[in-house]
Order: sequence, then C-alpha cells, then structure tokens
Amino acid sequence: MTSLRKFENGVLTIGTFAAAALWIFPLYWAFITSMRSEDRVVSKEAGVLPDEFNPAAYIDILWNTNLVSWYINSIGTAVIITFTVIVSGMMCAYAISQMRFPGRRILYGVVLASFMVPSQALVVTQFILMNDMGLINTWAGIILPQLIVPVVIIVYKQFFDAVPKEMREAVVLDGGGDYTLLFKVYLPLNWGITTALGIITFIMAWNQFLWPFLAVTTEDKMTIPVGITQVNDAFGVFYARLMSVALLGAMPVAIAYLIFQKKVTEAVMISSGVKG
Amino acid sequence: MGITLRNVSKSFGALGVVHDVSLDIPTGDFAVFVGPSGCGKSTLLRMIAGLEETTAGSISIEGRDVTEVEPAKREVAMVFQSYALYPHLTVFENMAFSLRLKKTPKAQVNDMVQEAARILHLEEQLQKRPSELSGGQRQRVAIGRAIVRKPKVFLFDEPLSNLDAELRVQMRLELAKLHREIGATMIYVTHDQVEAMTLADRIFVLKKGVLQQAGKPLDLYDDPHNQFVGGFIGSPAMNFLPGRVVARQGGMIRVALDGLGTELSAKSDASVAEGTAIKIGIRPEHLVPTEGGFEAVVDMAEDLGGVSYLHARLATGKDIVVELRGRRENFDGRKISLSADAGEVLLFAEDGSRLR
Ligand SMILES: Nc1ncnc2c1ncn2[C@@H]1O[C@H](COP(=O)(O)OP(=O)(O)O)[C@@H](O)[C@H]1O
Ligand SMILES: [Mg+2]
Repeated sequence: MTSLRKFENGVLTIGTFAAAALWIFPLYWAFITSMRSEDRVVSKEAGVLPDEFNPAAYIDILWNTNLVSWYINSIGTAVIITFTVIVSGMMCAYAISQMRFPGRRILYGVVLASFMVPSQALVVTQFILMNDMGLINTWAGIILPQLIVPVVIIVYKQFFDAVPKEMREAVVLDGGGDYTLLFKVYLPLNWGITTALGIITFIMAWNQFLWPFLAVTTEDKMTIPVGITQVNDAFGVFYARLMSVALLGAMPVAIAYLIFQKKVTEAVMISSGVKG
Repeated sequence: MGITLRNVSKSFGALGVVHDVSLDIPTGDFAVFVGPSGCGKSTLLRMIAGLEETTAGSISIEGRDVTEVEPAKREVAMVFQSYALYPHLTVFENMAFSLRLKKTPKAQVNDMVQEAARILHLEEQLQKRPSELSGGQRQRVAIGRAIVRKPKVFLFDEPLSNLDAELRVQMRLELAKLHREIGATMIYVTHDQVEAMTLADRIFVLKKGVLQQAGKPLDLYDDPHNQFVGGFIGSPAMNFLPGRVVARQGGMIRVALDGLGTELSAKSDASVAEGTAIKIGIRPEHLVPTEGGFEAVVDMAEDLGGVSYLHARLATGKDIVVELRGRRENFDGRKISLSADAGEVLLFAEDGSRLR
C-alpha cells in the first residue's frame, strides 16, 4: 500500500515537473535568446544552454525605439481601463442585483447577450466609429471600445446576489442608502473577487493587440504589444531584440500579478472566514 | 403606548400571511410574538421595522403613525437571527456603523460604543473581527449595534436560535437583565414557548397569521382563549380528550369521556346543550392518580428527581402526559387511574374555542 503510494507520488511529481518544464521553456528560450548577439542567435552554435550575456539587444531597444512611450501608453490605458471597467461593472451589477426597477431583467439579459458577441466581430464598426469621432491615435480611441466587459458585471452580480439579505436590511435600518451599501459593505465584502477581476482586466487590457494595432498608426502612441511589431521592420527579423522587448513588455504584468496574487488569497480568506 | 397595530394585514401576492392583527404594547414592555414556524411572526416584526410594506392597516410607534415611514426613520433597531454583522469591520466599527452614518462626533461615538460594550461585557473584544468571536459574543455585538442607536423599540427575530442550549439560557437571562437596565420597548419573536414564558411581560400568540390571544404569560397559561393557545403554551403540552356533555347544573358541566366509560366535572357556566360533543383540556400537572378515574397504562416514565413525567396510553389508544411531583415509585408499565379537579378542567368546543 505505502509503496504504491510512493510510486503514485513519484509519477505525479515527474508529471508536474514535465508540465512545468513545458511551460517554462519558451520563457527560458526567450531569455537566453535576448542575451545573445543577433549573429549568434541564428548561428549553428546556439544551443539550449546559455552561453553569452550580451545586453546589446536591451540597450539597442532602450535607445533606438519608443519603448518608454509604449510603456507609458500601455500602463496609462490599462490602468484607466481597469479602473473604469471595475467601478462601472460593480455599480451596474449592484443595480441589477439589489435595486428594484422596471426592465431590470431585460437589462441583465442584454448584458448576458453582449457577453456572447466576440469582440473581433465588432472591430470594423468600432474602427469606423472611433475614426468618425476623431479618436484614432489617441488614448481615448484605444480605451473606449475596451470598456465593455460584460463578464465583470456577471461575476459581480453573482457575488452580490450571495450577500445575505439581512446584511442589506441591517444597513437600511442603520440609515444607509445604496452608496453606503455598495462602497461600505458590498465592495469590502467582495475585495477578493474585486482584486481578481482587477488583475484579469488589467492583463487583458495590457495584452490587447488587435484593437490598439488598428486604432494607432503613429509609433509614439503605440502600446507595447503593438510596439513589438515595429522592432523587426526594415532589416528582417531581429530575434534578440524581439525577445528583449517581449520580456520587458511582460514584466510589469508578471510583477503586478505576483504582488496581487497574495492579496487575492488574503482577501478571499477574509471574506470567506466569517460566514459561519 | 409604545406600539399600536390596527387591523394590520400583509399579503405576498395572493398569499395572505398576516390577517387583521390589532395589538397594543405599552412603552417599556417586553413583548413576545410566539407561534409555530411559518405563522407570520417574522413578517409582522419586519412590518414594524419597515422592511416589509404594510398591505392594510396602520402601525404607530410612540403615537406617531409610521405605516408609510421609511425604516431608518422609525427609530427602531433590529437584531437578526443570523446577526448580520459586517464581517470586514471590527466589533467597534460594527457598533459604530450607524453613528458614523449619522456623522456623530468621534468622541461621542467612542463614548457610546464603550458604554454599549460595558453593558454587554465586550470591552476586551472591541478590536476583533466577528470571525474571531464565539456565537454568544457575536450575538452580543448584534445587540450592541442596536443599543448604540438608542432606538425607541428593539426588535429581535429569534436571536438565540443559533446558540447551543446552555448559552441560550444564559443569553435569555442577560436579555431580561438588559431590558431592565435599558427600559426600552422590546419585541421578541420566537417559536419557543419557554423563551416566551420566561422573557415576556406580554405574549402575543399567532397562528396562520391570526392573533389568537394576547396577555401576561401566566394568564395565557391558566386561561387560554382556545385549544391552540392551550396546547401551544406549556410544556409538556396540555392533554385534550374528546367527550360529550351529559349534565349542566350550578356552574358545573359533567362530561362523559369518549370510549373511557367515565365522567369528569368541569367548572363552567357555558350554555352548551346536553349531548354536545366537546373537548376537555387538562394540563399534565393537574392529572392526579385517584381511584375511580379513567385508566391509562404507563408506556414510559421520565423520572427527573423532583418531577416525573408519565407518558401513558388510554384505552382509546390516545397518548397523554401526567406530571407527578415528589413521587418515588416507578410507574413503568403500570396501570393507573387518573382524575382531575373540576376547577382545573377546561372545556373547548369542537371548533377549538373555549367554553367558559
Ligand atoms: N418575501 C416573501 N415572499 C413570499 N412569501 C413569504 C415572504 N416572506 C415570508 N413569506 C411567507 O410568509 C409566511 C410567514 O413567514 P414568516 O413571517 O417568516 O414566518 P415565521 O417567522 O413565523 O416562521 C411563510 O409561509 C412564508 O413562506
Ligand atoms: Mg421567522
């Protein structure tokens, strides 16, 4: 029995390692590639092991591209999108979940329906609309079409529905209105899901490619994913430089995730440990 | 008058839940709404709080008609069965919540919360979160949240039902003390008639949304208006036996008990014709073993020391309970003959109403 257990554990460990290696390898490969000279990357000697620590690609990227602008554009738009999506989604979900008004069900039906439309299907109409509004090559043009995230409303609604009715009634008797209810009770009770939705929205906005690629044509208004396409322009593909931009572009998201991941776990524990 | 209800009714759509309830609760009274689960107690309480709209009738608090007044302006505080504490706030902030909403000055908030914490023995817990408290402490915080508001009326909806038996008895005593200390009008909802009897100045018995009887606990016990109240108040419950009127004279009614071949007398001036089918009600402590009564076989005797409960079966197959005090013999399996004093036998008509 115990030897079978050990065997099982062994197999599981090996399996996990294999999966982890599969996941980590592209990142590892991107990293060692970015640390090689462009010539070495395409030479036959370039093996699996790191053999060069050459920051030339990074230096070139920092000096010869608009990387700093791309960072600012990415961070700026992603932060604004995240904040707006979370706040408006939360308020909309609160209204649908907690307030009684005619058309509430229909409104929720519309939200659910829009959840089922793939955003790519709207890209052409959005482009024409933004162009007519003169918002091409502006932050507003990048941001506006990305503010519609029905899934945030749907998730928040489920969580707000689950808050006990008596909690709401206690606040009402204490003299609180809807703003008190939302910002002093419903939101703090759901910090966990708020943080999680915030991270997801931020990452989605950060990684967004298709729309910013269409909405921006001048290099200084590009976000990082769009900027990456500018690196290998006229002179063919520069693998080392491409990989270094990709890594630099991914870093802020990875860091943000690592910081907030702990917060998410904490928040989930706080909001779940009190029900009983 | 603390609270006055006049012809209050409530329906959820087509479903009538509270029917034409009128009652008065004097200022400072501890009133208890009692009745079986689903009888509309909570709904009635929530209507007084303003959490449910009143379908018909009117509700006044301290002489002010509040039927159309919003909950926060009724000056009532409610303690919920589930406590409904704010889990993300400390005990202090839970109690201070309503004061902060009213923009009460900080020093005053502090004083009021400390005062409530003192009354409820929560001084040590103020910086903890609800999840770090025991059930009894959470209950106290919920009460504290009500106290700091200094409401005209406290409303409690089965506040002790989530506690274990021992704690329930303790909190019951503390609630009684609290009422004496604060002196505010309180309404307490429970399905537990023992809680009702021990806490209430005045009990209101409800059944299917209809007020059955209102009065002091012992008045309800001694003089129930109908069979439901007689059976609901008191534990173990009153015994009911079917019978027929055989004679009526001089304030006495003689009743032949169906299928038992015996007759019992009851003190009553009720004008019932001979031969009318009625029910008699006798409390367990009023059944006494005597020669020449009706016979019963004891199924099981619960001997608790000072008191014994005999669970016995009559010849008709009906189960009854007899309460004996200071008897030491074991009655298990024995045949006993029972009777009751005419003054202790209550008469009820077939429809359950009391015949006095
Ligand atoms: N919001 C509601 N909608 C429909 N029916 C309700 C609602 N609240 C209570 N009821 C019904 O009203 C009746 C009385 O409920 P309640 O007052 O909670 O009873 P109690 O507190 O005496 O157990 C029950 O039959 C219950 O199903
Ligand atoms: Mg109830």
